[in-house]
This record gives sequence, C-alpha cells and structure tokens, in this order.
Amino acid sequence: MNKNELLEGLLSILTVEQINTNEADLYDASADRYKKYAKARKVLDVPMPMAIVYPNSAEEVSKLLMFCNEHLINVIARGGKTATEGGLENWKELTIVIDAENLNKIIKIDDYNMQATAQAGVRLQELEDELRKIGYTTGHSPQSKPVAKMGGLVATRSIGQFSTLYGGIEDMVVGLECVFPNGHISRIKNVSRRAGGPDIRHIAIGNEGTLCYITEVTVKIFKYFPENHKFYGYLIKDVETGIKILREVMVNGYRPSVARTYSEEDARQHFYHFHKDKCVLIFMAEGNKETVEATCRGIEQAVENFKEGILEYVDSKHIESWFNHLNWSQKDIDDEFEGMLEKDYHAGFTTEISADWETIPKIYDSVINRVRSEFERADDLTMLGGHSSHSYINGTNMYFVYNYNINCDPEDEMRIYHHPLQRIIVEETLKFGGSMCHHHGIGKFRNEWTTEEHGSAYFMLEKLKEAFDPNGIMNFGTIYYQEEGAKYQK
Amino acid sequence: MNIICLVKFVPDVDNFVYDYDRNVLVRENVKMILNPDDAAALAFALKIKDKYPKTFIEVVSMAPKSIIGQLEDLLRRNVDKSTLISDKAFVGSDTYITSKILAKYLKAQTFDCILTGTHALDGDTSHVPAQLGELLSLAQLSNVLKIDESNFLNSIAIVDVDRERVISTYRVSLPAILSVQKESNYKLPHIKFKNLHLDVSANIHVVSNTDLSFDEKEVGIEGSLTKVSRTYPKKMEKKERIFVENDDEGIEVVYRFLKTKGYV
Repeated sequence: MNKNELLEGLLSILTVEQINTNEADLYDASADRYKKYAKARKVLDVPMPMAIVYPNSAEEVSKLLMFCNEHLINVIARGGKTATEGGLENWKELTIVIDAENLNKIIKIDDYNMQATAQAGVRLQELEDELRKIGYTTGHSPQSKPVAKMGGLVATRSIGQFSTLYGGIEDMVVGLECVFPNGHISRIKNVSRRAGGPDIRHIAIGNEGTLCYITEVTVKIFKYFPENHKFYGYLIKDVETGIKILREVMVNGYRPSVARTYSEEDARQHFYHFHKDKCVLIFMAEGNKETVEATCRGIEQAVENFKEGILEYVDSKHIESWFNHLNWSQKDIDDEFEGMLEKDYHAGFTTEISADWETIPKIYDSVINRVRSEFERADDLTMLGGHSSHSYINGTNMYFVYNYNINCDPEDEMRIYHHPLQRIIVEETLKFGGSMCHHHGIGKFRNEWTTEEHGSAYFMLEKLKEAFDPNGIMNFGTIYYQEEGAKYQK
Repeated sequence: MNIICLVKFVPDVDNFVYDYDRNVLVRENVKMILNPDDAAALAFALKIKDKYPKTFIEVVSMAPKSIIGQLEDLLRRNVDKSTLISDKAFVGSDTYITSKILAKYLKAQTFDCILTGTHALDGDTSHVPAQLGELLSLAQLSNVLKIDESNFLNSIAIVDVDRERVISTYRVSLPAILSVQKESNYKLPHIKFKNLHLDVSANIHVVSNTDLSFDEKEVGIEGSLTKVSRTYPKKMEKKERIFVENDDEGIEVVYRFLKTKGYV
C-alpha cells in the first residue's frame, strides 16, 4: 500500500481535518523523548509515519483499527507524547499514529462513588484541576502531569510521586474502554471489586499500545487535605541507611505519600541548597488530620530507630518548596529541546527498576561498580547515582540517574552512552531477580530482555499478542522483540 | 594536498579539581586531552579533507608512547597517518630543542601546509611554531582565527589573525606554518560509532632517534639550554556560595547580583 492509497482509505473513515500529513508533525511523531537529542538535531534514523489521525470516538478508532488490520498498517497509539522509552518511536514505513487529541472530554466526576471518568485524551492536570475545585484529587502525580494524558498513563502503567499512599495507576483504574485490532470495543465496567475470573483490566493497563487502544478510563478519586501536608528531610549516612528507614516505615503499616532516598550524587542535583554532599531522605505525609498525625509518628519512630545513620535534620520548608517545583511542563520540555539545538548537552537519562528490600542495595552497588569499571565512556559521566522513590511493603524501586558530556555525534549518542549504561542496569537487575522496568514501560529499547524479565510467564504475554493482535499491527517493536528493529537498537 | 598537523596532548587543566582546604591541585585522574588550539587546527584540516577528499592529513606529535591510543582516535576521525616522535633521548627537551627535532623530521617530508595550535594549555610559551618557521624557512602566523577554504588548494592561504584589538587579514603563499587558536571555533569531529574500534594500528608510525640521528648530547635535558628560574603555584580563591529559594525574594537576589556584574 502506498501513501496515496493509505490516505484514501483514511478519508473513507475520517474527515480531512482529522488527518495530519504535515512534514514537521510527522517528523515529530517519528520518535519520543528516548531519542530527544537526535530528534532535536534532526538526525533521527527511523522512518516517519505516513499520517497522524485524530478520531472523535471509540467507533472511529474501531474503524481505523479494522482498516489497519486488513491492510497490515502499523499503528502507534499516542497521548501526551511524554513517553521516554521509545514506545512512540516508529520502526515501520507503513505506519499511522492514532492521537487521542479529540477524545478530550471529562465524562463524569462522581464524588459520592469516588470515581471519575475521562476520555483517553484528557490531560491529567485538567482532571486534577477539576477535582481540586471540589476538594478532591486523583492522587496521581507523575512529573509529566501537566502534559500527560489519561490513555497514555494507563497504557504505560504510569506511577506518580505520591504512589506510596495512593498506589500506581493500576491501583486507581476501576474500569475502562478499549478497542482491539479487529475493531471490537470492550467496556470493562466500574465496580468496587470483582472475582469474575482473571482481572481483565490488566490486559489493557500497561499494554503500551501493543494489544489495544484505550479510549476511556475511570479512576478512583480521593479527598484532598492540603492543609494537613507534613514534610520531613534528613541528611543520612548512605543509601542503605535510607532504604532501611523506608522499609521500617512501610513494614509497620504507614503510608506516607512520599518516601524517598537519594544517593549523594543525585541529591547534589536535586537539593543544591542543603545536600552537603550527603545522601538525602525525605518524607511527605498527607490525608486527613488523624492519618497524617499517625504517619508522622511512624516516620519519626523509624528515623529514631536508625538514628546512628542520621547526620542532620533538614528544614521541612526546603522539602515543601522542592516539591512545588518538581513537575515539568510543556514549556520545560520545549526549553530542553531548544537547549539541545544550541549545546551538546541534555538533562540526562534515567533507568528505573524494582526489587525487594534485601535486593535493592545489592543491585545499586553492583550497577555503580560495573558502570565505573566497565563503561567505556566513564570519563564523560558528569553524574551517576540514583534514588528510591516508590516503596511497597515488600520492596522499593531504584531510579538510576546519569548525565554525561556528549562527545559523539547526536545520532550515535544512544549507542555510545545510554544503551551501554541501560544494559548494565538491566542485566544486573535481572541477575538479582528484580524487575527491569518499574514504571516507564518496556518501550522499544528494553524489548530484548522481555523474555528474561518474564521467564516462563512470557508464554502468557506471547499468547495475548497472538490472540488480540494476530497480524502484529499494534506498535511494532514495543514490548515484543523484533529482529527487524534491531538495526535501530544496536 | 598534503597537510601536516603538529599536535600535543596536555593535562586537562581547564577541568581540574582544586582542593581549597589544602590549596593544591588534585592531580589524580587528570586526563590527557588534545591541546584545544591544536584540535582547532586539525579540525580545519579535516574540514578541508571533507570538502576535498583527496587531501592527505598527517598528524605529528612528539610525546611518550603512552599517547598512541589518542593518536589512534585521531586516525578514526579520518586522519590518514599519525607519526609519533618518541625517544628516551628527547625527554626533557626545551622548546628550542623540540623545534629542532620536529624540524629535522619535517624537512624530510613533502607538504603543502603545516597547521599547529598557537598556545598550549600546559606551557603556553607559543615558541615552537615560530621556531619551526625559522628552522624550515617558512612564513609563520599565530592567532589564526579563520582560513579561507576556497583559495587553500591554490597554494594561497587568506587568513584572519587576531591581533588583540583588531583582526587583520593576511595573504600567505603556501607552504607556510599557520597556527590556529581555539577561538576560531573549528570543531574537531567526533568518531563515528561504526569507527569506534576501527583497527588503525597500521597507520601509526613511530620515529625514534635512530631515524633522526641526533647526538644524544644535543637533545633532551642535556641539550636544552633553557633554565627555569622560578615556578609558583597559581592561587585559587574559593568563591562564596549563596543559596536562595525559587521565590520572589530569591529571584530578586539573583537579579541584583547579575545587575552588579553588569549582565542586566
């Protein structure tokens, strides 16, 4: 099928205004933030999609997917464009991007049943703003909140900064609507709990556009008590001490909304005004007054239990102020893009993993040692560290963070810097039994380890793809390894 | 066209770590880098080669053999030949003797132009290019900011030279020695990913005193007449740090600071 035939087919489903073939927009749609530097420098090595389309309804999405399924057209589902792992990168010539821009309605805010329904293209910030007006919150607050959209957040199993209290997006979604490649529209109803067989919400949640297109989601909402927020900050001896205190808080049943430990290096870039070259531990408690008071007691007791590792208390106003400026807006993204045009520099990369309490410090040490001894461009690293920012009763995550001077051409950057670093992090995590992706999704550049990540359970993932997307039209190369895509990775 | 680039690898003193408590330079892990002015000169040569692929570039460096790895990286950037002049007898040579050693090698070569940097980060005397001009009977210009590419192949170099208060344009017949400065903004290209581990060992040539046949008393410390009368460490002052919040008060402090420095 050539481009004209494709456009003709699309025009039989959508109006001309719903089809975008603008060259600059297609270039922008070729890759996401994973290749941000190469993209800014206009040296992307992947094909551009042939069109971006903006359906107005689930029915139009259904017709589009049937058309693509029949003609073997690759489909990339797109929301707020904040993907960081190549999930929005295109590896096929014959591709369309289905953008959720027109699916932009908040359908219902139900403060009695404590749930809100929104279409896939509603920005999280917009929903949050509406809820705040009436004293509620989604409880979901990724750094991308001002830009990210509901469909994308669910499709990538997003997590927010207050997850330790509210959970990840998978804990918030009560029901959803999604469309499969054969055009079938499934609606999963909104109920408080169910035991009607396996929880089929999880086929859609985290599918990264490889099985279905999410058109609508219903999430839990929570009462919001900003007047009760409490913040804690400490300089601590080392990462391990921080992890131990986080564990102490969690295993005793407390749920601070924020519980984080930063390595010295990572603390230096976040807390320039108080880090003193030490590791940093921070907490935030929120909720109703009584819950906050109990949580604060739990935090203070945990800190007391490990007081030999506490070097200094930090004024809580520093922590509060830092949180208030943490999110990145569209302007921040645009500014970074402009900066990359002028300088051989960008804001760095991250790789996020998870494991149980016992294993996380081992992975952290092992990764840092391996990077320092094996990474060929270790001299170019200007920062290598990490933080734990999402904790659970049985473990936590580790967010490896690294910046480097880019001493190579923009098109070679990922292969020379990010890929080797990410490989070390993923290999060490899998070796110790952790998960290679905590909340960014697999995207296209960790797909070579998907089978190892899941082990014998990969069978289930493979069967889902065969059942729902037998023609392989959904987001080629994402989650599932494709030999044809290896040329863009290695 | 044959271009010879004279280069030197120097400690990366622009990015050193200073221990303010002990008032000393932290020398551990100081990297050796291609001298920035020399990098600019080589970058111009590579630009010419990019435009005129028949151009042949030879890099010449007088250094210990430990820098072979760095010379190989220059070959991976599209340099055709790297010559390392290295011999125990040359160790400790002052700038005059260094120029004599280099001149002896260069006299035996065929070239249309010699490109060098103007200053070196470590010594900064800028003697060698001028001394080479004298020894090779070639015109030499320092502080070169720009070389006109269009006439370069016609044995003429039209160059802009930084004379501190003015920029003058000179027309020089080639061969000549042109000493570029990093402010020229000629940027050394990076090694392409596919060439990162390219085997270039066949294009490294080591020249020793066996080839140049100096009397050992003429070179090295013994042959060098320059005497250093005094050295002193540069004193660094620790800058005061002020922390402000990201609020109106903090913005006001930053604004007032920038104003006192004349930036706003």
